[in-house]
Amino acid sequence: MTRDHVELRGDRLRLAYDDRDVVADLTVDIPPGQITAIVGANACGKSTLLRGLARLLKPKAGAVHLDGHDIHRLPTKDVARRLGILPQQPIAPEGLTVADLVARGRAPHQGWFTQWSPTDEAVVVAALDATATLDLADRPVDDLSGGQRQRAWIAMALAQDTPLLLLDEPTTFLDLAHQVEVLDLLAELNTRDGRTVVLVLHDLNQACRYAHHLIAMRDGAIAARGRPADVVTAALVEGVFGLPVRVIDDPETGAPLVIPKARTGRTHGDTVAGNGHRARSL
Amino acid sequence: MRIHRRTLAVSATLLAVVGIATAVSVSVGDFAIPLRDVVPAVFGFGNPDSHFIVRALRLPRALTGALVGAAFGLSGAIFQSLARNPLASPDIIGITAGASAAAVAVIVWVGGSSTLVATGAFGGAALTATAIYLLAYRRGVTGYRLVLVGVGLAAVLHAVTSYLLTRADIFNAQRATVWLTGSLNGRSWDHVRPVAVALAVVIPVAMTLGRQLRLLELGDDTAKGLGVRVEPARAALIAAAVVLAAVATASAGPIAFVALVAPQIARRLVHTAGATLVPAAVVGAALVLLADLGARRAFAPTELPVGVVTGIIGAPYLLWLLARANRIGAGG
Repeated sequence: MTRDHVELRGDRLRLAYDDRDVVADLTVDIPPGQITAIVGANACGKSTLLRGLARLLKPKAGAVHLDGHDIHRLPTKDVARRLGILPQQPIAPEGLTVADLVARGRAPHQGWFTQWSPTDEAVVVAALDATATLDLADRPVDDLSGGQRQRAWIAMALAQDTPLLLLDEPTTFLDLAHQVEVLDLLAELNTRDGRTVVLVLHDLNQACRYAHHLIAMRDGAIAARGRPADVVTAALVEGVFGLPVRVIDDPETGAPLVIPKARTGRTHGDTVAGNGHRARSL
Repeated sequence: MRIHRRTLAVSATLLAVVGIATAVSVSVGDFAIPLRDVVPAVFGFGNPDSHFIVRALRLPRALTGALVGAAFGLSGAIFQSLARNPLASPDIIGITAGASAAAVAVIVWVGGSSTLVATGAFGGAALTATAIYLLAYRRGVTGYRLVLVGVGLAAVLHAVTSYLLTRADIFNAQRATVWLTGSLNGRSWDHVRPVAVALAVVIPVAMTLGRQLRLLELGDDTAKGLGVRVEPARAALIAAAVVLAAVATASAGPIAFVALVAPQIARRLVHTAGATLVPAAVVGAALVLLADLGARRAFAPTELPVGVVTGIIGAPYLLWLLARANRIGAGG
């Protein structure tokens, strides 16, 4: 199923917790039908921006527009049918099964009196299938491994069946294989359904590999945005993360690959290290 | 929401238990009425003596017990789910303590009718709940703050109750003590009516809010993302749970542990996670009815207050819960 694109835009956003401003004056457009990754150092405001875009945090100034309407003026259930958000550390009640969790994702599509419909059932099964959690359906969420649990939560977000999906660090706490598995799944959802995906990522290289559009943040402002190949340079990364790096082409995908520069005496053997040091072979 | 077949089956079975317990409760006593005569007597047929005993004395008592139990069970289920903590029930977080302090104050200072005492209890519960909510409020209300503030306030209110008792004359002190234990003794239709009306209003409200409750269990952010208006939904749920606990306490006193235990029994019976509102209400009703039967018959002809029996069942459960929470180290 190809879906209608939903437009999400943050307009002159000021986002704050209590009186502490995290994002000062930020305008951002989320390109529809693409994967957008938000990256930046810890505490740069990337999760705050995502929470703001997902209407979990009300801006002190400015507005988030969903299809041209102020998201805080739209009925929240209406928004929930267009925009799904997977927060960083979701909680499941003790003993809740995967099937029950995923079923709760259907809530925005149910009215006060409408019961569980065949459509609900079909969407939930499809979500379980897409995330390879069908076999886990009857297992309690708290019994699962980190990777399985994250897939179950993504299945819940998929069951919400929204054209726009926002995820806050979906790969944190997962080992490398599970990280790739989750990102591959999101990429597949994007290519297959044309779903717009926005995700906050820690790993810059994963962001470069999976995102069509990259938003690099620093101190609550956007430092750069655009195609990873266009914006990721050694200067940008050093500015954003405060780390000297080299940027080469990812031999697998051709996307930019960011490699931190080696500190003196920490190189092994045959390197072409850019910092001029050549260590003894081991 | 999906409704599990098992939930339906368990609820139906429990309802049958409640029905049977009601019938047995009406049938036994110093003047035994055979079970087969109970139903005719309820509708005014058969022997005029048994018909008076059933309709004026035993039926209102049994119905008050069932309704009060249902109200406590439902109230406990809502609180425990909202706070994500099996300890959060109106009898632990101070709401029934507020009702008790107010009721004892009325008994000791005013010495009024049981209606006045009930009104005082309701007012005390509502006031305490408001105080807990305001004290725990900080950009919304979270489970742990609610429990901690509630436990603290409960301690203060228990102290107030004790102080009032020491100042009371012996007759009032005795009356207050019986009230504090929770008793269904001498409950008439006047006691049935307010609980029935409150339940008739609040149960449908609580059931419709149950959907939001199940989403709130996934955390505020997820609930918001799924289209729940978190703060209004939570405030409405707390209000419903408070009204239930307040009305129940006003009618029968703070029957110990029912609100704490019933939701957990229900959860284990239906095998689902999270809030199970209907089963919790029915388990509450069954618990109070069965406990009252025990209280009446264990040392017959002496009748114990029902709160003694629920206390005997509930206290070990509370200890087990605390020990378990301690072992896990998280406490829910």
